[in-house]
Amino acid sequence: MSENAAFTCIGCPIGCPLQLTHEGREILEIEGHQCNRGAKYARQEFTDPRRGMSTTVRIEGARWARLPVKVTKPIPKNRVIEAARIIHGVVVQAPVKVGDVVLRNLLGEEGVDVIATRSM
Amino acid sequence: MLGRLQNRYDVVVVGGGPAGLAAAIGARDAGAGRCLVVDREPEAGGILLQCIHSGFGLHHFKEELTGPEYAQRFFEQALEHDIDVVPESYVSGIGIDSDGTRRVRVLNETRGLHTVDCRSVVLAMGCRERTRGAIRIPGTRPAGVLTAGLAQKFVNLMGYLPGRRVAILGSGDIGLIMARRLVLEGCEVVGVFELMPYSNGLTRNVVQCLDDFGIPLHLSTTVTAIEGRDRVSAIHVAPMGPDGRPDLQRQRRVECDTLLLSIGLIPENELSASLGIDLDLVTRGPRVSSTLETSLPGVFACGNVLHVHDLVDFVTGEALRAGRHAGEHAQGIRMARDNITLVAGDNVRYCVPHTLSTGREHTIFMRCKEPMKPCEIVVGDRMRKRLSFVVPAEMIMFTIKPDALEGYHEDTLRIDIRPLEGAGRRATDAAGQGGAA
Ligand SMILES: Cc1cc2nc3c(=O)[nH]c(=O)nc-3n(C[C@H](O)[C@H](O)[C@H](O)COP(=O)(O)OP(=O)(O)OC[C@H]3O[C@@H](n4cnc5c(N)ncnc54)[C@H](O)[C@@H]3O)c2cc1C
Ligand code: SF4
Repeated sequence: MSENAAFTCIGCPIGCPLQLTHEGREILEIEGHQCNRGAKYARQEFTDPRRGMSTTVRIEGARWARLPVKVTKPIPKNRVIEAARIIHGVVVQAPVKVGDVVLRNLLGEEGVDVIATRSM
Repeated sequence: MLGRLQNRYDVVVVGGGPAGLAAAIGARDAGAGRCLVVDREPEAGGILLQCIHSGFGLHHFKEELTGPEYAQRFFEQALEHDIDVVPESYVSGIGIDSDGTRRVRVLNETRGLHTVDCRSVVLAMGCRERTRGAIRIPGTRPAGVLTAGLAQKFVNLMGYLPGRRVAILGSGDIGLIMARRLVLEGCEVVGVFELMPYSNGLTRNVVQCLDDFGIPLHLSTTVTAIEGRDRVSAIHVAPMGPDGRPDLQRQRRVECDTLLLSIGLIPENELSASLGIDLDLVTRGPRVSSTLETSLPGVFACGNVLHVHDLVDFVTGEALRAGRHAGEHAQGIRMARDNITLVAGDNVRYCVPHTLSTGREHTIFMRCKEPMKPCEIVVGDRMRKRLSFVVPAEMIMFTIKPDALEGYHEDTLRIDIRPLEGAGRRATDAAGQGGAA
């Protein structure tokens, strides 16, 4: 039996409402998009939704109390909060340079690092 | 050089955010000798330092950066351009001598009051947030009511959480971004309340900051009262009635300990006003010519102090131009005066700059009043441009080529945004710039 999933495209501010029809994991049809980016987005959101993420970690001996960081690759959407908890456990010492790795292989995913987004 | 403050400059820039840094770089590139950037904060970078999410730089650097990364690139570029950057210093006033020299008064903790002479000044003071007083929410005056940007500074720089159970009034991008930010920090966000029937933020932020975390967005709803003695204990919210007022019959109570306000930004123009510069009542920024010069010769403006931008990339582009013109002015180069005044017509809230001159290319920034799709920008009888949609939250940018104004003899030029019925619905030529908050 076919089922529907709904998404809002974020490709541009039109924000097309997208309807994806599927049977199990198999995509049957995508509707509602006004350009190809929408179809691609719906497919990605259905099969493997991922998000980039930025947050802060504690830094000691610096001008501010928090150091901004980001993940180098998008992580699975449903693990974003879990990732934040892990990252928030990190404490670094100043000085730090932009791009320095503060945590490697986040969530056990090879090549997903957490890096500083400024020097401090 | 960081921290070096001399007595004489070609160009002095007030404010060291992305606008100020880019303006100084633009001035140096135009050949200005000595340039100074003054900022009152402990470091240059402006508001970007607290905007730790990514989405900046897609236009300018063709890659997606976070706010601090974007700021750092410009800060380093400024130092490479041999620009003096002086933080922790406040520009308290600007005087003009009879020979045209501008005297900028800089207040600094260690140096006291220092006067700097220069030929051109660039205003790049950014904007500040509207507060509770601006919209007069009834109720008590407890702790826990603050602007979203202040909360952003507390959380992202200082390491304080503003509360545990948070409601947000206003669906502008800063409010949306803060909703996600607070959830990641372990707070509960009970809802975002928006007066208008549509969100004032980008779709991308509604989806990724609210929908992803199941945070409800209540449109056409506003906060009607704040409850609490020492600390916020609840807010009252009500849907907007047909008469444009909150329908108090349908008011309900929402428990929370914090209310964040994301209800708009106001260009910070006390300094401009004290100089007697003409301000635009709509943008609340200076009126500027096509060279981004204010009504006071030799004083230029760019960035959020001129009009509130949504993308920092546009701030950078505008500031580089303002800086270039300020640098040229400092070297005695004068352009022909503008001869055409732009008039905001149907569905145009404002356009910047305010005047144009024939024979040059112009970049126009404008905002619409109401969402419309598909539509057409009509520039007098000179130019038409189709857009698949416009929304108030997205600034519209377009260029007027020099030949478009050839032989134009009127004093004014009107810009309208008109609906296009049944027009092509291709999204590829959209006004939409995507990008971040
Ligand atoms: C809270 C907040 C969050 C934002 N979030 C985003 C976002 O996520 N994405 C985005 O693209 N845009 C965001 N914006 C818009 C953002 O402001 C612009 O993109 C950009 O930062 C504007 O640059 P600016 O240089 O004009 O202003 P600012 O970055 O505000 O810099 C102005 C600087 O001038 C200094 N200054 C002011 N007056 C004086 C004085 N008299 N003497 C000395 N120094 C002075 C200030 O301290 C400040 O450092 C946000 C704005 C605010 C207010
Ligand atoms: S489908 Fe295309 S037109 Fe529609 S929102 Fe996505 S990018 Fe924009």
